[in-house]
Order: sequence, then C-alpha cells, then structure tokens
Amino acid sequence: MVEADGAENLEFEWGKKRGVGGKKKDVQFYETFTYDGVEYTLYDSVYLYKEGEPDPYVGKIIKIWENSDKTKKVKILWFFRPCEIQNFLGNEDSAENELFLACGEGLGLANVNPLEAISGKCNVVCTSKDNRNPQPSDEELQAADFIFFRAFDVGNRRILDKIEEKVAGIEVKFIFNRIDLQKTNVVLKLDSDKKGASGNAIASYETVVPSQQTPTIEHTNLKTTGISIDNLGKDNAGSNSSLVKQKSSLREKPTSTVGVESDEMAKSNDRMENDFNDGTKSGPIVKENTDSKASLVEQKSLLRKQPASSIGTEVKISKTNNRQENVSSDKTTLRFEDDSIMVGKRVDIEKKVKSAKDFGEMEDRPSKRAKFDGFVKVDDKNKKSPQILSTGLDSNDAKALATVTALDDKSRLKLAKDTQVAEKDPFKKVKPDDKTKFSNGKLPKASPGRALDEDKKIDHQIMEVTRRPDTDRSRWFKGLPWEDRMKTANEQGTLVLLQNLDPTYTSAEVEDIVWHGFKESCTAKMIQQTSISSPHSGQALVIFKTREAAEIAVRKLDEGCLLLSNGRPLVGSKITCYPEKKPSFFGHLVIDKLKHQMQREMKEAVSTSHCSQPNTIEYEMAMEWCLLQERSDCAWKKLYEQQGEALRKLKSSLKFK
Amino acid sequence: MASPSTQTDYAAFEEKVKRTVYLDNLSPHITEPVMRSALNQFGNVKSVHFIPNYIEPRNIPQCALVEMEDLMQAEAVVSMTSHHYFMVSGMPRPVRARPAEVTMFDDRPKMPGRTIQCQWLDENDPDFKVAQKIKGLTKLNAAQSAFLLKQQLQEEESLAKYQQDILNANYKKHEVIDNIMVDGTARRLADRYNLSCD
Repeated sequence: MVEADGAENLEFEWGKKRGVGGKKKDVQFYETFTYDGVEYTLYDSVYLYKEGEPDPYVGKIIKIWENSDKTKKVKILWFFRPCEIQNFLGNEDSAENELFLACGEGLGLANVNPLEAISGKCNVVCTSKDNRNPQPSDEELQAADFIFFRAFDVGNRRILDKIEEKVAGIEVKFIFNRIDLQKTNVVLKLDSDKKGASGNAIASYETVVPSQQTPTIEHTNLKTTGISIDNLGKDNAGSNSSLVKQKSSLREKPTSTVGVESDEMAKSNDRMENDFNDGTKSGPIVKENTDSKASLVEQKSLLRKQPASSIGTEVKISKTNNRQENVSSDKTTLRFEDDSIMVGKRVDIEKKVKSAKDFGEMEDRPSKRAKFDGFVKVDDKNKKSPQILSTGLDSNDAKALATVTALDDKSRLKLAKDTQVAEKDPFKKVKPDDKTKFSNGKLPKASPGRALDEDKKIDHQIMEVTRRPDTDRSRWFKGLPWEDRMKTANEQGTLVLLQNLDPTYTSAEVEDIVWHGFKESCTAKMIQQTSISSPHSGQALVIFKTREAAEIAVRKLDEGCLLLSNGRPLVGSKITCYPEKKPSFFGHLVIDKLKHQMQREMKEAVSTSHCSQPNTIEYEMAMEWCLLQERSDCAWKKLYEQQGEALRKLKSSLKFK
Repeated sequence: MASPSTQTDYAAFEEKVKRTVYLDNLSPHITEPVMRSALNQFGNVKSVHFIPNYIEPRNIPQCALVEMEDLMQAEAVVSMTSHHYFMVSGMPRPVRARPAEVTMFDDRPKMPGRTIQCQWLDENDPDFKVAQKIKGLTKLNAAQSAFLLKQQLQEEESLAKYQQDILNANYKKHEVIDNIMVDGTARRLADRYNLSCD
C-alpha cells in the first residue's frame, strides 16, 4: 500500500510487467496497474471521461505502457453507444445498455489515451452466442453495466453481427468474456445496477456471504464467519447504485469481524449516499448514474493482496462508480450517530461500538467517517440517525483507506463543510427540485448555489487530474447537424427555448446548467446574437431527450425559480420552429420588365457588389434605407434601455447576489 | 482556475472577434462565394459564416460574420460601409457592417475562470416573488422586441413597395423619353418648331 505522500496525485502503482519495446527499449509495457485504488488489468473495460460529454466513453484496455518520459499511456479499443452510431444503425433496434465493439480499420477503432483519463471500471459483458464466447451467467448479466454482441466496422461503417477472429490485432478470446471470471467464486452477489439510466429500477440484492472461509481463499488470517451483508438500500427504490462490498482483509483481527467500508464517492457530483435513508429519493436518482463523470473509483487496494476470489469480487465492485458499501456483520456493529455538526470540519460522532477495541488506532477513520456521516445526517431531515452499520476493521485497513481517499477528502471536506454550514441536504444540489417537495421550508437559500459552485470546482479539479481522452470522439461520427436534430425535436416536441440567460454563456455551459438544474442531459445551442438581439436576455434552444423531460423542465421553470448567477431566473418555454416557406427580403428592387434578364445575370454573376454613386436614383433610395435603419436602430436602443432600466430596478430588490 | 490552454484559446478567439465584421441587411440569396468576392476588395476574407435564424420571423434580413485577415482589414470594411452605400447582390438597400461581438459567435469558447451558479429558489424565499416578476418581465420584453421587429419589417416592406413604385414610374418615364426619340416623334416636333434635335 502506498502511503499518500503529496496527496496531490491520485495513488498509482504499476503491477505486473509484460515486456519492453520502443526503439530504444525504453518503453515498458505492463499487464496490470493500480490507479486510484483500483486494480486494472489488460483487457478490462473502463470508463473514460471527456469534458462536455454527459456520458462517459467505454473502452477496453488493450495495451498499457509507460514511455521513457514517464508518461503513462493506455491504448483503448472503443465501444460505441448506439446513439453515437445511430446514423449507421438504420432500423436496427438496440437495447439501452447495448454497446457496439469497434472493429475493422479506420478512425474510431482504438487510440492512445493518457492513463489518467480512465475514471473507473466498467462491467461489459459479451452476450454473443458465439461458441468462442463463454456464456455469461444470469448474475453476471444482472451485474453488467453494458452488454454487447455486435460490432461496428469503423471502416465500412456497418454493423456486424459476428465478431471477427481478431479485432485491432487482439485475439477474440480477450474480447469475449473471460473464462476466469466465470470460475471465480462469486462470494457476493453484487447488485451493481449502475445502469439506472436504462431505467431498470432493480432493487438491490440481499447479499449473503457464505459462512466460514470462502473456498478459494488461501489466506489463513482471514476468517469470515456468518457474515450477512445487507445492503440497507434494498428497501427503497433508489438504491440502484448501491453496492455491497465485502472487505475481507482483516488479518490481525480476531474471528468474526468484517471490514466494512461505507464509502461514497465524493468526487461524483451525484452521489447517492443516502440510499438507505428514509426513502425520499427514488426515481430521479436513476438518471444520475449516467453522470458518473469525475467519479473515481475509490477502492482499498488492500484487496489486491487477497486471494483470487476476492479479487474477482473486487473487479466487480470497482466498476460501479457511485457506490456505497454497507456491510453489516452480525457480531460487530457500529452505529454512527451524529448529534452535533460543528461548523468546522469535524463531526462529532457518537460511536456505539460493540467491539470497541478495533477502533483503537483508527485515528483517520473517524474523521473520514465524520464527513460521511455529515452527509448522511444532513440528508436525513428527520434527524434520525442514519443506520450505517459497519464493522470494525483493522488499522491497516483504516490507514489504507485514509490514504486512498486523502485527495478525495480535501474536496469532500469542502463540500461537507459547505453543506454542514448550511445545515441542509447536500442532495439539493443534485436534485434541487426536490427541495420544495421534501423540505420543510427552512432551508437556507444560498446553499444550493454554493454547493453547485463547489461542485463545479470539484469538477474542475478532477478535470485537471484526469485528462480527458485526447481525441474528440464525438467528431468521429458526426451526429446529425443541428438543423436536422431541431427538426426531429420539433416533431417530437422536445424543443425548449430558454430565455434570460447571460448572453455570453456558451452552448456547453447551457447544457451544464440544464444538467444541474434538471438532471437531464440535453443538446443546447445558444442563439447567436445579432444587432437586434436583446443585450439583457440570451436565448438558447435546448433539445431534451424525451418529450416528458422537456415538459417537466418547462413546468418546473414556470412554477419554480431557477436562479442563475447575477440574478437571472431562467425562463423556459416550449416552442416549435416551423420553417416558413421561402424567406422574403425587402429592399432589393428590380424593374418588372427586366426581371427575367436580371435574374439570369444574377445567376451567372459571381461578384455583384458595388458602391453606390451619388446623383443616382439608387443613391437616393439607399439614403432612404439608411434613414429607416437609423430610425429602427434608435427604436431598438430605446427599447432595450427601457427594458434594462426596468430589469435593474427589479434586480436591485433581489437579495441574492 | 482556468488552465493556461483555455486562456490562450480564449485570447485567440478574442483576436478572431476583432478581425471579424458583422454584416447585416443581406439578402437571403447571398451565398458564401458572393460574400467573399464582395469583400475581397478590401482585404482577404478568411471565413464567412451566416448566422442562422431559428426563432425570428423568416423574412428578417440575413446576417453574416466575415473574418478578415486582420483588424485593419476589418476596420476598412466597416468604415467603407459607413461612408458609402455598399450594395451586394442587389440594390438599393445597402449592406451594413459593424465590428463583431463575442456573443455573435456560435463556436465561442468558454470564458476562462467563470463559474456559473444556479439555484432553485424556495417558494417562501422573498427572492422568489422578485424572480417571478423578473421572469414575467423577461417574457414581456421578448414580446416587445418581437413587436418592434414586426413593426420594423412592416416599415421595410412599405418602404420597399414605395421605392418600387418610384422605380417603376421612373423607368416608365425614361422609357417614354426613349420612345419619343426612337419613333421619330422628337424629330417631327423639332421640325414643327424649327428646332434642331441632334
């Protein structure tokens, strides 16, 4: 375990070497590495994030190496989401969580990314009926984030039903499910229903660990007896992403103790730390899963030292980004209740430790826990003490945990502080709309904004830490042009016009705002300003994914108030842009009789520009046009001045700045 | 917060804005080659981008952003159109040029170092009412603008019609004069009054 030294870099460690290469034999290839507490192996599927993309990319690591200049690289063979290749999909149906393996040759097959772009593991299961493919079990299918059985030929841009013998030079056996994965003694049935986005509201599973040592564990120190791991989230629907993780690394401990990690991802904007709360969160969470942007898997790598079977478990666990682990053991139960939240950094926790001795050396642990509890507590409006059941874990463990999360904690601390000070639900920022529904109205107002700001900062931080994939993948296969999409949106009623934006916002920022405001990903386009556009209110067209989403957003904007920076409440309305026939233009005159001839000349002419000469009728008419232009300019100016004045008056009575 | 690269990006973009001119009162028939050849007289046109019109009435004049090679050339275009009546692809409505503004660009990068905050207001919040009022005002303003635009288009239409009449009358006048010469009426009249009309 690497101790966090600077805590600036995410913890990283190379694993098994493979060989050297390069011209000067200065490139070292690897088979495994540990990044941010997660062990990655060659041919693992991973998430890669790119700024501005709501959904992470999914790819398979097919090469790992370190250059002589110490830059770490991974070669990624891509999976495509159906939406990315919809132009080539034709009428073929695709499941929500289906991916297409890139194959063939050409742009989009695979490329080299900085290793840091990886942001988490992803469980992609191949459901191909191909006899070369070890068929996945039902559990594996349940646990899968994505499935694939078809491929997309990037050269010919066709969907292939069969996967070739070799893809990107990789033998197909590495592409299909791994055999060892199946053999792995699945200690836990994991509910990693991360794909809430696909709408499966699968409640979590009860997880039962077989008593005694799991068969494949050779580790003698480890004893897990009668552990029943219960994901507390199971009784509410919002527990989609909760994941039970068994930490079975308790070597120095007496029997029947279980390490527990109740860890949640602070980096993720959208955590669902309160799955096990009072059930207030339910549906909306589902959407958040797609935005696991910036969330990094935080894992104790202690497990690395564990026998194979637990590693298998670990692999499975780590793919979930938004995760929560609760393990309750029958013997050792900790209950954290926070009775007071201090405005500082710490939360006093009252610990009811049945086997208290385990906590002797856990200096780091409580503080981390404190944050966590802070969250939970704040979540829980009824001040009901959250039922975080956890068991003691050995000090090594605690240390490791603290190490891994050291970096994380910094930002989390900030957030935690923020929310604690505000004494309100951090979830507000995730689902601000719920506030009105669930709160009892005494929530401080400034907090969500700040929390969001904090969020942004965190985003930013993470953006710096993990670089996004170099290649702008979204450009490989161009989506339909905006006009076409707008047309479809028109027909489907998913088009919304937002007003009162800051005119300097960019389209991407509008998408961000929509994301934070409604938890909806969308495509937005700022309307470009012209000489007659209002300087007070920027407009943007937003295409939502569904008609319902669009309607909900408009209704929410109408009933509630989404206040943006510098006191701009957002205005939304559904619009339909129906292109009228041919645009007509006033001001270019032709003499009727010469019309025919003129038009022909116009077609042939390339350059038809000139400056008007004085003493011509044209000159006089041009003067009239300028006069009119001048007049309307004055009118616009006056109008906008008046509007600005009225707005200023209103805004000055806003307390929020 | 902003990384150096986004800052340089933005600086480069600002440079681009400076050397770009915004042209409006353009006919919808004007295409990029026409625009290029019209403005190549004043410098080198680097790119032409027509600003799409999604939500306004269709018959407002077309607008375009034309990127010139440098600031000097952009200024030349602006000053030329303000001193002369510059016609492109038709007359007599002159084209107008102005220095471009950041908000006119579609592909503008994010302003470095800016953070946006947003917040759902609580109904009991005193700001809530104010915000609702602002929303109302925003809608009102938009309606006002739409009305003014409609008004303006009407004025343009009537001016165009008026000018068309003048033009036709003028043409007719010249045609009559022309015909007088052609069909010999002028000569006969000259003979009659003992004048020479050569």
